Formats: sequence, C-alpha cells, structure tokens
Amino acid sequence: METPAPAGTSSRALKSMPVAPSASSASSASSLASAFFQGPRPLYLGAALSRIVLLLYGLWQDANSPVKYTDIDYLVFTDAARFVARGQSPYARETYRYTPVLAWLLLPTAYQTGSPFWDAVCFNSGKVLFAAADLVAGWLLERVLTMGRGDARPMDAPTARRFAAIWLLNPMVATISTRGSSEGLLGVLVMALLWAVMARRVTLAGLLLGFGVHFKIYPFIYAPAIVWWMDRERMAGSGAVAPAKLPNRIMKLITPARIRLAVVSLVTFLGLNIIMFGIYGAPFLTHTYLHHVTRIDHRHNFSPYNTQLYLASAFPGLPALRIESVAFLPQLTLACVIIPFVVAKKDLPTAMLAQTFAFATFNKVCTSQYFLWYMILLPLYLPSSSFLVNKKLGISALALWVASQGLWLQQGYKLEFLGQSTFLPDLWLASLGFFLVNCWILGIIISDVSVKPGVL
Amino acid sequence: MRERITFIQKLGDSLEPSALTVSGRDLNGPNVRAVREDKLTFSLDELPSELHTLLKASHELHIRWISPIAYETVSPLLARLPPGFHLFYTPGQGTDTASHKLCSTLQDVFGSITCSTPAESFTSLPVDRFSHSAASQYYQPLESLSHFIRYARGQLCLASDSSCAARLNDLTGASSLDVSYDTISHALKITALWPYQSQSVHATSRAHVRTEVGVLSAEKPPTMKDHELGIAGLLTVLGQDAKPSVTMFAFASRHRDTESGFTATFLTPTGLHPTLQLQLESSKPPSASAYCSPHAYLTLPNTIFADKYQLSDDLFLASKNLTALRFISQPMDLEAPAYVMKPWGSAVLVELSPPSGGSWPWTAEIPLHLRYLSPAHGGYTGVQVPYPAVFWACTAEEGTKFPNNPFERVNLGYDGLFGPRTVFWHIEPHAQGGERLVSTVKVPVLDLDKAGWVNVGTAVTVLLGFAWIVWKLLGVYGKAGHGRISTKEVENGEKKRQ
Repeated sequence: METPAPAGTSSRALKSMPVAPSASSASSASSLASAFFQGPRPLYLGAALSRIVLLLYGLWQDANSPVKYTDIDYLVFTDAARFVARGQSPYARETYRYTPVLAWLLLPTAYQTGSPFWDAVCFNSGKVLFAAADLVAGWLLERVLTMGRGDARPMDAPTARRFAAIWLLNPMVATISTRGSSEGLLGVLVMALLWAVMARRVTLAGLLLGFGVHFKIYPFIYAPAIVWWMDRERMAGSGAVAPAKLPNRIMKLITPARIRLAVVSLVTFLGLNIIMFGIYGAPFLTHTYLHHVTRIDHRHNFSPYNTQLYLASAFPGLPALRIESVAFLPQLTLACVIIPFVVAKKDLPTAMLAQTFAFATFNKVCTSQYFLWYMILLPLYLPSSSFLVNKKLGISALALWVASQGLWLQQGYKLEFLGQSTFLPDLWLASLGFFLVNCWILGIIISDVSVKPGVL
Repeated sequence: MRERITFIQKLGDSLEPSALTVSGRDLNGPNVRAVREDKLTFSLDELPSELHTLLKASHELHIRWISPIAYETVSPLLARLPPGFHLFYTPGQGTDTASHKLCSTLQDVFGSITCSTPAESFTSLPVDRFSHSAASQYYQPLESLSHFIRYARGQLCLASDSSCAARLNDLTGASSLDVSYDTISHALKITALWPYQSQSVHATSRAHVRTEVGVLSAEKPPTMKDHELGIAGLLTVLGQDAKPSVTMFAFASRHRDTESGFTATFLTPTGLHPTLQLQLESSKPPSASAYCSPHAYLTLPNTIFADKYQLSDDLFLASKNLTALRFISQPMDLEAPAYVMKPWGSAVLVELSPPSGGSWPWTAEIPLHLRYLSPAHGGYTGVQVPYPAVFWACTAEEGTKFPNNPFERVNLGYDGLFGPRTVFWHIEPHAQGGERLVSTVKVPVLDLDKAGWVNVGTAVTVLLGFAWIVWKLLGVYGKAGHGRISTKEVENGEKKRQ
C-alpha cells in the first residue's frame, strides 16, 4: 500500500505540473491523487458536488426535454407517496412493489406548498435522500476499511478513501441515485450491517438485517455468513479452541450472539411485516413479496435463464424437467450454503461480495441495478485481490465483463429499438457468455481468500 | 318484423318522384350514387332460440362490426369506429349463467370470436358520465361477415327462399353492421350500411313485413338552423302506398362530416415500442362558434398498449402533438406477456393538439408498447392494429337535443366519454397504400425453429458455471478448511509452495 504523501509534496507537484508535464506527469498525477485522499474533505465534497451537479442537470433536462432524466421508478415511488399522503395505500399505484417504508420516506415529495419552486424542491427531495444515502454508504465503507481487522494490519485512512472512492466517485452510482433509484438505500443498509457485525454490535446488526430483508428480500443471504462468522472465539476475542466431541461441537455452535442476532432480526422482520399487513392488508404481501414468486420474468434481461423463461412461460404445459424450475438450487446452494461455509470465517466482506455476486449471477432475472448490490462491497475485497496484484488479470477481467455486457446490450438494442428478432441465438448466447464471465470472476474472488491472511 | 331501407345521395343529387315505380310490393328506380342503409327490427319471439335466451338475459347488447376496407359514406350516416368487432354489453340482473354463454353464442353467430367470458375478457366502461352507455366493452379484429351470413341464412331463410339468401349474401359488400338490443325497446335492431357507390334503387317487401323505402339526399331547407342537417326525398311504404310521397326535414345530428381525411402508420423502425403516427389533412376546427378539439379513439388488441404514466408528462405529450390522455380502460397490466392476458385489450381516447390558426396538414404521434407474444416459427409475428376513429369533438349550444334524429347511433365506445351535448365531426380514414384501414407491426418473437437447444444449452451452461465455482470453493476448502486462516498458516503454506 502506498504511504500517504506529505502535504508539501502535493503542493510542489501542483506547481511543477504546468512547467514540465511530460517528465513528471505520472508522478505528479499520483501525488495529486495522494493529496486528494489525504483528508476526508476533498473526497466527500467531490462526491457530493458530482451528485449536486447531476441533480441540477436532471432538473434541467426534465424541464426542457421530452426524454426524462428521472427514472420511471422514481415516479412510481412518488406517486405511491402521494397516495399515502392522501391517506390511501401506496399499492394503489400500479407496479409499486416495495415496502410502504419507502413511500413513507418519500412523503416530503408529495408535499405541496403552492409555490412551483418549493414544490419542485419537495418533489426532488427523494433524490437528495438517495444521493445522501450514497455518501453515507461510502463513509461507512471507509469506516469498515479502517477497522481493526483480526490478524491483519488496519488500513490507513487515505488508502481506505482511495478504495471508498470506487463507490463514492463512481459515475454509475451517482447517476443511478440522482435519477431517483432507491438502490443507494440498500448500499447504506448493507454497509451499516457489515459495520455493526464487525464492531460486534449484535443487536444493531439484527435490526439492520431484519429491516434489510423487509426492505428488499435479498439481504437474507447475508444471514448464514454473519451467523457462521460470529463464532464463540471471534465474539469472545480469544484464540482457537481445541476440537471437542461432536455433540459438544453442535452445542458450541449455539452462542448467545447468534441467538441474539437470530431473535432480533426475526422479530424486526416479522414485526415490520405484521405492522404493514395490519395497515395495508393483502396488497402489501401480494406486491412486496408474492409478486416475486409469481412473476414470469419473460422480458429480456441479463439472466442466463431469460430465454428459457420466455419459452417456458408461453408453453406452460410441457412436462419435461426444465432447468428454470430448479434455478433456485444452484443459486441458493452457492449464496446461502457453500460460500458462507467456506469463505465467511476467512473474510466476511469478501464472502458477502461473493454471495451477492452469485445471487445476482444465478438469479432468474438480472438487470443493471443488481450490479449496484455488489459494487458497494467491491472496495472491501479489491485491496488484496489478485485483480490489483496482477494488473493484466484485473484489466482483462474488467474488459471481459464490460465487453460481454456490451455484446448483450447490442443485441438488446437490436431487439428493443430496431425490432430484430435477436432472441435466438444472439441474445441467448450473449446472456450465457456474460454469465460465464461472471462465474469466472467469481471463481477468482473465491480463490483469493485462500492466499491471504484473515483480513477483517 | 319491420324494415326500413334508405338510400342517401349527396347534396343536389335528388330524384324526381316519377323516377320511381311502385307496383304492389315492389319498388324500382334508376341507378344512383348513394349510401344504402337497411334497418330491420325483430321482436324477440321471431329469433332463433339461442339468441332469444341470450338477449333475455341481457340488459343491453350492442354489436358494431366495421369493415377493414376503407369506405366512403355521406351525412348523416357518419358515426365511425375503428374497424373490427365491437361489443357493448350490460348483463341483466341475476343472469350469470346466461352471460357465461355470451361468448360461445357469439362464436356460433360471428365465427372466430375469441373471448372466454364477459368477466374475464371484457373491460368495464365508466358508468358515471353518460346514462345510456353500456357497462362493459369487448373488441377484436374481425375480417368479414362471412360466418354471420352463413349463420343467418341457416337460421332465418327457408331452403326454398332464394331471395332471402340473396339479401343476406349482399352483406358481403356491407361496410358496417349494427346489432342492438335493450330491454326498454324489447326488440332487436339490425342495421347494415353499404358504402357510397353506384347502385340500383330496388326493394321488395315480404308478406307481413312493413317495409318503408326512402330515397333521400342531403338538402338545405330554408327553415334549417346552423347546427342542423337537412334531408329531402321520397318515402314509400311498400304494399300500402301507390306512389312515393315527398318529404323534407331538418334535425340536429350528433355526427357530422369535416370533409377532410387522415392516415395512420407506424413509424419505422417499430422495435418493441412502436409509435402510431396520424397524418391529418387539416388543422382547421370544423365549427367557429363552438369549442372544438380533435381526438383519436383507439381500440388496441391486447398485444399492444398505451402507458398512461408515460402519457402524463406535458412536455412529452407536446412533443408528440398530444394534449392529454382522456381515457384508458382499466385494468391494464403493464408487464404481462400477451399470452397470459385475459382482457381483450384496451380502449384509449387521446386529445390531439393541432397547430393553431389556419388550415395545415399536421401529424400527431401516439407512443405504444408491444407485449411479448408467443414464440413462433420464423421469429416474427404480425400484429394488426385497427385505424383509430379520429374526430373533432365540439360542444353543442345549450339546449341542443338529438332525440328526433332517425339516423341516431349511440353506444360507440367514445360517445359515452363525452358530455351529452357533444357533436362529433368525423375525419375520414384513408388507407395507406391499399384499401385496408389496418396498420401492421412486425413483432420480433422468439424463433421456435431455433429453440431446440435452449433448455439443454441453458442447463449445461448454468451447471458449468456452478461446477467451476464449486471447484474453486473446494480448492479453498482443501487448502484452508472452513475456518479462519491465521497468518501462521499462510506463511506455512508459502514455505510449502517454495
């Protein structure tokens, strides 16, 4: 890891740049970067500023162009918030498939002041909330990176900020939240959960886990990893214990911390659901949870199952055993059983990254919002990854990931906008190709945990 | 049974009374250029038993079939609808089982009607606006009346009666057919319309059937008011009158003619989000004295739909020359593929936004979205979208009533969406290349010819990816087990490797 450059170096670098750019541009650029990450202010101001600029640009585009910057989902959320403000159910809005909490959070967007300017401010306050959530998630990321990390040396703050910048200064992340997508809230929840677990704050972790699952279901995959990681030795802070007889070993698995996490998270999850069901009744269950069980997912997306799902949904009578009907098996075996079992105790953040990656890659539906789910965890894994150690490997992985996605997008564009029937074989092969690239990357992420000491 | 046969010519094309010869139950005249309308009224007990049962269980039933072939018509027979089979229906009280049979009866009568039951396939209409609009609506494209003609020949004509069969066969050339029943009149009215064309004036009445024949033309009687239409001509009741009697009258008509036209085409490439472009000949409102605005009324099969959320942004609407989405039938699943959709589709009323001042050709664009369709051989499926009905809706003067119009036509789907004093000035649909008032979209679908490997290919790929990751996990497990790795172990491992 690079050591932080003293402040003097950076200012000299700044002065020398215009004079001799060719000779020292590389080193001065890197010292400029060191200066940027030296204190927290430049990074967080930069992240905030980029979001403010995007937010204002979005307002301008929405007001002047028939093509909107604002995400359609944001209109769904804010319509739902308006229904709630009028004392109705958020599910009165078609395609609102989220917890009522989201509509409640966005209640200010439904507030009418009578002045167009303040109405616009209110309406866009949800995007500000999502963008702020991004920043908090980035800040938590930095906290987690600099935490005491078991056997390994803690990362210094400037280096941690460099890695947090992957999230904080990521244009994709900034665009998604300022367009009004709620994925940034997930980032905060997951990062806060990880921080709480690693800080041994079990009750807080249980609350966040229960709330996270209520909010977006998928964080349930983190439960087995966290529970497995939370063994007696780790929670007590003592060293390894001699292996005991089998019945004792099973008894040993049940620890106060694990019980507390299970009880708190279950009570939070069920409590929230009971409250929501009490207020909004069956539509809450139907739209928030059951919809995900019954949906067909036939529209084209990145999932390898997509073509098969389209085919199967049109001919539901066919009897043969079909791969999509057992799709949950490889997905949950990896995300909830094997990865937590093998990886969690070695490196919890990498285990969570691998779980999320496996969950998204093997899911029956996969869109680009799912990439955000694992992008928040990426900066925790990258510092010790073979992708950074072996630059060639890192660049080829990134290039392959982008290229195979680009290939799919090209076929998708031909289908969606040019009306060409690219379903077979092009779009199908492109989704299988993207899937295999993802599997290859996931394999490398997993292998990496065996060659480094137990960070975190 | 009663019968009324009307020929209507254009202004200035009237016939002298001497041009018609009436002899007994026959009327003959010269060839004229005219629209012909036949209106037959049946009492319930004159009908085949299955129809009788069905109608008795209905409160209101209106069928409007419009030919997909472009046709010209004259005032006042102007009420237009998108081509296809339209049904407006209000069930009677406590008649669930009879209403359950509606679709199968329709299938017997009209052929390829694909609805299952009113509860599943029909959409409900707003009931709060116009007292005489029916409760529910159904629509589907229907190319011709050939099945209906065969059915009616079998049910209504005696085998020996060749003139009966011949009259029914004439329906092949009809441009529209209305079948209407309501419990108040307790009678079934069937109205057929033949387009404006050259035809001979001829009618024969059957025994026990009161047949009235009118040979009329548009006229401007001096007493006529601005908002009225005038009609003049010759009326004869066959078997009763020895010669035609001259008549002239004026009435307020709900449906009027703008004397301009439009075409509808899909912009290319259509993709999965085709845009229907309406090209209108004139932007001039039809009436200077009333508030008028142009509208398009679409009946979209469930393969294609408009998104009410997309059509709610003013900037977006303005960029398409639209003012607002005025009506869209509910419910509307925005995500489901066509092959799981139960309702017939959706009715949409959009208000268009013409350029102001003067009379210019202009366009309006209606953005639509395709659902996923069933996989098919070859990878493409054609979706036929009927032309919309396009008209200027103008507010009639206070106190205007339309009850004494002998050619009144209500329950058209869109009339119920406007106030009772609205006048519809119709814009004539012109076919784009050919004669059919149907726009076709080529929809990409999954090509069944290439689908053989999908199940196996997907399964093998997923298993391959799964196996690779499990292999990697086993590698980690083999090296370091399932517990933590201490710094010592890693150092040991590195020593071993060296």
